[in-house]
Amino acid sequence: MNVIVVGCGRLGSELAYRLFQQGHRVTIVDNVAVAFDRLDPAFRGRTVEGEALSKEVLERAGIDEADGLASVTNSDTLNAVVAHTARTIYKVPNVVVRNYDPNLRPVLEAFGLQIVSSTSWGAQRVEELLSGIAVHTVFSAGNGEVEVYEIVVPENWQGRKLGEMLSEAEQCLPVALTRAGRSSLPTAETVLQTGDVLDVSTTAEGIAALRTCLARKEA
Amino acid sequence: MFVIIAGGGRTGAQLASALLSENYQVLVVEHRRELLSRLHRELPTEIVYEGSPINPQVLERAGIRNAQVLAATTDTDANNLVLCYMAREMFNVPRIIARVNNPRNAWLFNENFHVDVALNSANVLAHLIQEEMSLGDMMTLLKLRRGRYSLVEEKIPPGAKAIGIAIKDLDLPDQCVIAAIIRHGKVVVPRGNTTLELEDEVLAITDQDGTRRLAELFAPPGKNIKQGGTAPP
Repeated sequence: MNVIVVGCGRLGSELAYRLFQQGHRVTIVDNVAVAFDRLDPAFRGRTVEGEALSKEVLERAGIDEADGLASVTNSDTLNAVVAHTARTIYKVPNVVVRNYDPNLRPVLEAFGLQIVSSTSWGAQRVEELLSGIAVHTVFSAGNGEVEVYEIVVPENWQGRKLGEMLSEAEQCLPVALTRAGRSSLPTAETVLQTGDVLDVSTTAEGIAALRTCLARKEA
Repeated sequence: MFVIIAGGGRTGAQLASALLSENYQVLVVEHRRELLSRLHRELPTEIVYEGSPINPQVLERAGIRNAQVLAATTDTDANNLVLCYMAREMFNVPRIIARVNNPRNAWLFNENFHVDVALNSANVLAHLIQEEMSLGDMMTLLKLRRGRYSLVEEKIPPGAKAIGIAIKDLDLPDQCVIAAIIRHGKVVVPRGNTTLELEDEVLAITDQDGTRRLAELFAPPGKNIKQGGTAPP
């Protein structure tokens, strides 16, 4: 696959190197040549120095033959313009943008782009770890509106029914329960044991409600 | 008419004062501290809206849904393009005008980002200078249709080719019409058989080819008229 990465910051250089390791033909674009120093010395893709809004630079990067483009600079508006141009003018089939400032996420949404919010995502994960409850995302659908979370059932839920837990957290769909290495499809009547691994599909609001109810010590 | 100007740099501020003097309702949206203090000094405080113009919530609070025109005049082309796109896509603004900062980015300013009119100041200026250099004493009074046509004026100097020739025999190009002649302080409405005289002030509506032909006809003898004008975009 021919992939163009726009922006050779920390995210861009890491992404370009990973794509290269996966065997893709990678071209990375940045307007300052020293940015390419961030690339792993083993990277064997193309580097193109220049402004990503310039037609000549985009074409030199091979946008006419690109199968995918990721615009991951720290400017949300630049990412939006590059991605929209790639999609509409050059018909690049797969285009992804990075959202840097969470306040500007609606701007990227207005363009109907596939978005990765690196800042919000990082903050959310750190928050999860600090809260001490073992919940983490295992699958992210669409732009992350719905995600599948994996939860380790805490002691205070030992012997109680799954239906009881979910009655306090609406919008949570249980998709699997793993006990001693064997998984099954749980029902509302399933009795929980400490250490069970429960997978639920839910939204950001749903997981917030579920966390609150997991943290509650009283039955 | 309500106009929102996104970006309060020199261009935005200048535009705001010009529109205010024409009695437009104007709001300038800007968030950079260093620019805000100047804006508050130069413009009435109530027309300065503090907030980042690329934030859709800020635009909405500023009343963009009621705006007839959005002028995107920030100093960053990506911001201006995104502003234009959001203005139409999210707020349905009927007329959208954008400033092009870097002429290399001009190719992006079109309907793909919902830009109705793109103003490329570097180009406009270069164009005007080039035109001034090639046209001697002819004066442009008014630009029509984004500069494609102009209302020009020139006084006929001694020895000009056009003296004593009837307008119908001047062999003017199709896109060039002599609109009025001011002779001894009076307006003469030109007809095909009107002949031009020394010191006539001629007003013409013309495109660029016509302007060059007029410059040639009205030049004093021995003055070399350059043919270096550029074609319209």
